[in-house]
Amino acid sequence: MPGSRVRRSPKPSSASDEKDAINRVKDQPIMIRLKHVVFGAVGLPVIVLLGAWIGFFNVGASSGHWKVTALFLQLAMRSAVRTYALAVDAPKTLDRRGLPAAAGHFARGCAICHGEPGEPRSPAVMRMLPQPPNLALTVGDWTDAQLFRIVKHGIRFTGMPAWPARDRDDEVWAMVAFLRELPKLDANEFRALAFDAGQATGGEREPAAPAALADCRRCHGSDGQGRGDLVPALAGQKQAYLFASLHAFASGDRTSGFMALPVTGVDPADLAALARHFAAQRPLSADRDQVPAEMVNKGQQIAEIGIPERNVPACSGCHIGSDKNPIYPHLDGQHAAYLERQLKLFRSENRGGTQFWRIMATAAQRLTDDDIRAVSAYFSKRSEGPQ
Amino acid sequence: MSANVGLSVLVGCAFLLLAKGSNWAAAEELGHQRAKVIEPSIAPAALIAPQLEDPAAPQDPPGTGLSLFLRNGCGACHTIRGTEARGTIGPDLSHIGSRTAIGAGILPNSEEAIARFIARPDLQKPGVKMPAFDMLPQTEIQTIARYLKALQ
Ligand code: HEC
Ligand code: HEC
Ligand code: HEC
Ligand code: HEC
Repeated sequence: MPGSRVRRSPKPSSASDEKDAINRVKDQPIMIRLKHVVFGAVGLPVIVLLGAWIGFFNVGASSGHWKVTALFLQLAMRSAVRTYALAVDAPKTLDRRGLPAAAGHFARGCAICHGEPGEPRSPAVMRMLPQPPNLALTVGDWTDAQLFRIVKHGIRFTGMPAWPARDRDDEVWAMVAFLRELPKLDANEFRALAFDAGQATGGEREPAAPAALADCRRCHGSDGQGRGDLVPALAGQKQAYLFASLHAFASGDRTSGFMALPVTGVDPADLAALARHFAAQRPLSADRDQVPAEMVNKGQQIAEIGIPERNVPACSGCHIGSDKNPIYPHLDGQHAAYLERQLKLFRSENRGGTQFWRIMATAAQRLTDDDIRAVSAYFSKRSEGPQ
Repeated sequence: MSANVGLSVLVGCAFLLLAKGSNWAAAEELGHQRAKVIEPSIAPAALIAPQLEDPAAPQDPPGTGLSLFLRNGCGACHTIRGTEARGTIGPDLSHIGSRTAIGAGILPNSEEAIARFIARPDLQKPGVKMPAFDMLPQTEIQTIARYLKALQ
């Protein structure tokens, strides 16, 4: 190319000199000069941008990635998951009590892309790039921590979404536990886990109930008792509390990935009807788990007197009696595991709720794990009225 | 010349990578935000409206000071002798009306000051162990304050 450095070398007089000069330049260590930097920093992005602007890059999914791109993306994804999962603290054994809720969530939130037992992925999804894998076949490739990382954060640029609620690692672990079950499930077993048995027969369907009710029943049951220990019973709960809680889920004031999806797009009038429906159901029969009597007694102490020396107020002041604020929920007969989970969430300030949640967060602040277990056991056994 | 082009491309890539690197942090954030956006949103108007009025509404008529006091759980932390309020976390309020000051002496003892304390104790006295009750309707707070002031 004319005008290059060689011509401008100090003594271009003779041919041999010129040759020397060329050799000298060749032997010089390669140096990064300012113009390289300027060209690279400004020129390349401009060229790439230009390419994008004139439509050089094919964003169509039909032709797939080039083999090398696909391999690179897979490598990048797998390595990133592997690296980031190192920071995840996986429990030794996965808690299986959340399986029904996770299965219910899977049926609505994941199966559309990943398919479910007995229900192949739709042809439309099969044309996604990358294709969502059939998880029953691939979960074995990942450790628990890696699955946690994927389910919690999603995978960028692939359509794989992040968990819909922050600070709910407990829910993500429940989903990981379910993914571990998935390869073992056939179509019937999956439906038994993800749908309520009463649903097949239509349950006690009433004409006024909104369509969303079918969705609620998958997790809360046709009888409103809550399927699995971590899904709250709603039957007989105060209507005002149910209604205010549904709004809290819808607005994000109370975060739960399991509840975020069902309340999305439901008309506020329908939320009121749903609250009315569950409040009118026959309240709960008490939990049948065997718990040592001394634990229940300790729980009763906390419920009726509190723990004054640690500034824990008596729960009964807000939760027992029919004359209490209708936003203060009944706890009687509620699943103990659910109560425990909520109290721990309150204690760590990860449980929002209605406008009143702060009061409860204050009350839960100084409870120890033992207190929480005891008082939850007590309330799950308790029933209002003549004891 | 080819060395020139090669170097430019290399440096360019380095820059792109650098830019990308700092993006990662930002992208993590974005990821978080996206997670947030997925949380469903309902028109705010719909949210404010129902709360206490709707089907939700309290069944019993707007009560006396004492019934509101008990109904909202003040009794979990306070005692008023002769009632079912037997809490011991906060001060005994049986004779609060006759005291010269409230909030451990920082506020004058007036109906108005009591109402302000109930709504936002944290503003009146930082580090206080009583939660704010400013979500209660103002009229309920005033009714309770009037009742408490009258406790001699
Ligand atoms: C909109 C479609 C979509 C939805 C909804 C979706 N995913 Fe995915 N998911 C994907 C895609 C696409 C991939 C593949 C990403 C890749 O290969 O880089 C993926 C990958 C995964 C993987 C990694 C599997 C592997 O072997 O590569 C897991 C685990 C997973 N998804 C779990 C879930 C769970 C659990 C849910 C429901 C909470 C869910 N996904 C919802 C699209 C989806
Ligand atoms: C995928 C399972 C699932 C579905 C579907 C579901 N729920 Fe829930 N629901 C849960 C779980 C789990 C919780 C507990 C949330 C938490 O841990 O914060 C919950 C909590 C609630 C609460 C709060 C109860 C309390 O005592 O605080 C209400 C009210 C509720 N759900 C109503 C509904 C309604 C109405 C529907 C249908 C529109 C529905 N749910 C659909 C799983 C589900
Ligand atoms: C001063 C009133 C008050 C006291 C005292 C109180 N609570 Fe609560 N509690 C509430 C309110 C209000 C809520 C509803 C929070 C929300 O969702 O907005 C609640 C909610 C709860 C919930 C969640 C229920 C559900 O269905 O999700 C549990 C569990 C609970 N309280 C347990 C306790 C225990 C145990 C104690 C005693 C140590 C206690 N509470 C003392 C006011 C109180
Ligand atoms: C979680 C426990 C708790 C609940 C619930 C609670 N309080 Fe209190 N309250 C306290 C504590 C603790 C103090 C003492 C504050 C201080 O001076 O540091 C206090 C102080 C007060 C005072 C000032 C008393 C004085 O001697 O100066 C009034 C008035 C009062 N509360 C009224 C109420 C009313 C009305 C309610 C119900 C709407 C209520 N409190 C609910 C814990 C509570």
